[in-house]
Amino acid sequence: MVNDLLTSPPGWMHAAIFFGLGACLLMIVLGFVTYAILAERKVLGFMQLRPGPNRVGGRFGLLQTVADVLKLLIKEDTIPKAADKPLFILAPVLAFAPAFMVLAAIPFSDHLKFSDLSIGLLYYIAISGITTVGILMAGWASNNKYSLLGGMRSAAQMISYEIPLVISVVGVIMFSGSLNLTEIVEGQKTVAYMFLSPLGFIVFLISSIAELNRTPFDLPEAESELVAGYHVEYSGFRWAFFMLTEYVYLFAMAALTTVLFLGGWNPVPFLGFIPGIIWFALKFSLIVFFMIWVRGTMPRLRADQLMEFAWKVLLPVALLNIFVSAVVKELFLR
Amino acid sequence: MIRTEEMLLNVGPQHPSTHGVFRIVLKIDGETIIEANPVIGYLHRGTEKLAENLQYTQIIPYTDRMDYLAAMTNNYVICHAVETMMNIEIPERADYLRVLVMELGRVASHLVWFGTYLLDIGAMSPFLYAFREREAIIGFLNEISGARLTFNYMRIGGVKWDAPEGWIEKVRDFVPYMREQLAGYHDLVTGNEIFLNRVKGVGYYSKEEALDYSLSGANLRCTGIAWDLRKDEPYSLYDRFTFNVPAFDSGDAWARYQCRMAEIEESLKIIEQAVEQFPESGEVLAKVPKIIKPPKGEAFVRIESPRGEIGCYIASEGKKEPYRLKFRRPSFYNLQILPKLLVGENISNLITILGGIDIVLGEVDG
Amino acid sequence: MKGLAKGLKYTLSNLTKQNVTTQYPDVPLQMPDRFRGIQKFYPEKCIVCNQCANICPTDCIQLTGNPHPDPGKKGKIIDTYDINFEICILCDLCTEVCPTEAIVMTNNFELAEYSRDELFKDLVWLDENDNNVRKENKA
Repeated sequence: MVNDLLTSPPGWMHAAIFFGLGACLLMIVLGFVTYAILAERKVLGFMQLRPGPNRVGGRFGLLQTVADVLKLLIKEDTIPKAADKPLFILAPVLAFAPAFMVLAAIPFSDHLKFSDLSIGLLYYIAISGITTVGILMAGWASNNKYSLLGGMRSAAQMISYEIPLVISVVGVIMFSGSLNLTEIVEGQKTVAYMFLSPLGFIVFLISSIAELNRTPFDLPEAESELVAGYHVEYSGFRWAFFMLTEYVYLFAMAALTTVLFLGGWNPVPFLGFIPGIIWFALKFSLIVFFMIWVRGTMPRLRADQLMEFAWKVLLPVALLNIFVSAVVKELFLR
Repeated sequence: MIRTEEMLLNVGPQHPSTHGVFRIVLKIDGETIIEANPVIGYLHRGTEKLAENLQYTQIIPYTDRMDYLAAMTNNYVICHAVETMMNIEIPERADYLRVLVMELGRVASHLVWFGTYLLDIGAMSPFLYAFREREAIIGFLNEISGARLTFNYMRIGGVKWDAPEGWIEKVRDFVPYMREQLAGYHDLVTGNEIFLNRVKGVGYYSKEEALDYSLSGANLRCTGIAWDLRKDEPYSLYDRFTFNVPAFDSGDAWARYQCRMAEIEESLKIIEQAVEQFPESGEVLAKVPKIIKPPKGEAFVRIESPRGEIGCYIASEGKKEPYRLKFRRPSFYNLQILPKLLVGENISNLITILGGIDIVLGEVDG
Repeated sequence: MKGLAKGLKYTLSNLTKQNVTTQYPDVPLQMPDRFRGIQKFYPEKCIVCNQCANICPTDCIQLTGNPHPDPGKKGKIIDTYDINFEICILCDLCTEVCPTEAIVMTNNFELAEYSRDELFKDLVWLDENDNNVRKENKA
């Protein structure tokens, strides 16, 4: 059905249908965010020998995040007197909007997708870069020294890690011969690209954690150093928007990793009777779990080490990956 | 030409990793610290002045609140000072109990340090693991003294309570358990490359500097000077136990970390031996006069607290209250090197260095 | 990389372990017998010797006594006995010096109040505070 819509000539009807679908996706994503936050707190809790949220919504704290969001909604919205007001208000929007925009490019299964961009991968990477501007803007507009430092760190980090992130997927592009995410998944029918370019996969995974500002790369909001980094001065729902950005990106990045390296909705051999969307969800959950797991284990890097790591380790490895991938393609995929 | 400006950044007194109410005013250029001015005194309660109007027994609960992570050593230093002045012989059983609780306190204190230090560096889990073991120790101390932090357990001439039934056995069983957990911590943290990168070479000072700044405890031993009062000037029963004084040469945060982790192991050794040698029965409080009046004169004693050398000076006029009481508070002295270490470092290293010194603000501010 | 892998293994192995936390407000916390909570006072045992008020490091105990109503008997009986819990540090010294064990500790530690006035505990309150009284009071 979606394929028909995507190929037929555009019209007002299309716009309405896509708006409706987009709204549905937003709801799904918000639902995911709600339970991703809960899952993160629960998994961290279990790893740390404590139960995690267990008050609101029964033993498993199923309504904890809902309650948190409600609390943020009714919280007083404070804007510091010395803040740059228009920028301060604009920043959370600018940070969040791209996070949701990138989801348009991601195919969730054979039939479930919202677009069929031939440059899907490029689109994702280009759009997600805009969030940095929002974060930098937040850091600057708050007129707080901690947020400024957080914003600076964030800009430096996002720019440095974007490069290995992009270069590490070159291998995948070479294998599939396309930037279209659907075609990339189709190319993994027999073997996932994770096995064909393991180097690229590792570099991509590390850079994606850095792009998401999660431990061990959570320097922009390093709690013990910068208190909360760029969102020190934010409260209420503006603050919630930054949190939302973070978790929507987690959703998007995990989905992208699944598509690029884990074979998307392609089933594991001999288990083809399970529908593709379930496979997607499983692989996707695995990535999310891994990110939570890493968060529960690792300390934080230092800013200069972070830069060093990106430029001196990840970038050369990503470049090497291009050559290795070329060799692999030449030898095995002919 | 871009115009750059230095910026004053006020870290604390309300900041997640100043370990209480420490404040430091930084002059920074980007993230590089040009100048650091520590501001202390937010937790000043005037313990020394208050003590001038208190009887000796009444001072003991006040010492609990100085280094609140290892209150037993503070209890001991004041009691030891008064006992030295009055030449009181402590019953053996009481002395063993004192050693046991002090060493348990040392382990607990180092565990808090371990947890909070890793929390500062950004790892969240070690804190909760460390607190699991600390909670067990706090439980033991609670059972024997009746409080979880402010023990007020020691008395001039002995200790308040004898060990409750089964307590010694519990402590004995705790030692192997703790060793097992310690191995887990090493798995989790000590080999972690990110952690190693954060601490190696950070906050270096030489032997001479350490001595010049009168550092003590792990902050001194990290430069290779194996100076530990338990070994070098044995007090209480420490000459009866065999243990090592861990010392590391590199003088950086990594050496301080290794030092403290090794000290936990040494403390466990002492606990093990003390439990073994623990006398079957005996008094826990010596015969002391009801109202304690040390003779006219003065005394200074020093012992090894988890943070360094804690000293107690008493000037007595032969009255119920001391004429002057002075504590050498190790955290305060150890903190003095901080402004020197911070110049040229970046903000992430500020946290690593400050955490590595292991201060307790109750003790710094007195 | 080896260190990171070891750390990941450690956290993963803890994922399935039993929680160590207690369900505190739902399940009351049992403190060991020696635990020092708010005091219990027995007016009939008190001989108004003032030792507790004298030993208190923070001077939070105030008491007054009347001469014994029975003229044949010596001594005093307690009239008012107040502990100011804003400044009491629960150091246990008052119960230690009391010759008749008229003031003893309980294991009650939930002392938060909404108003400072309620922290001022008088004789009646301290007399009625008689659950969880400590069994062993003298070493």
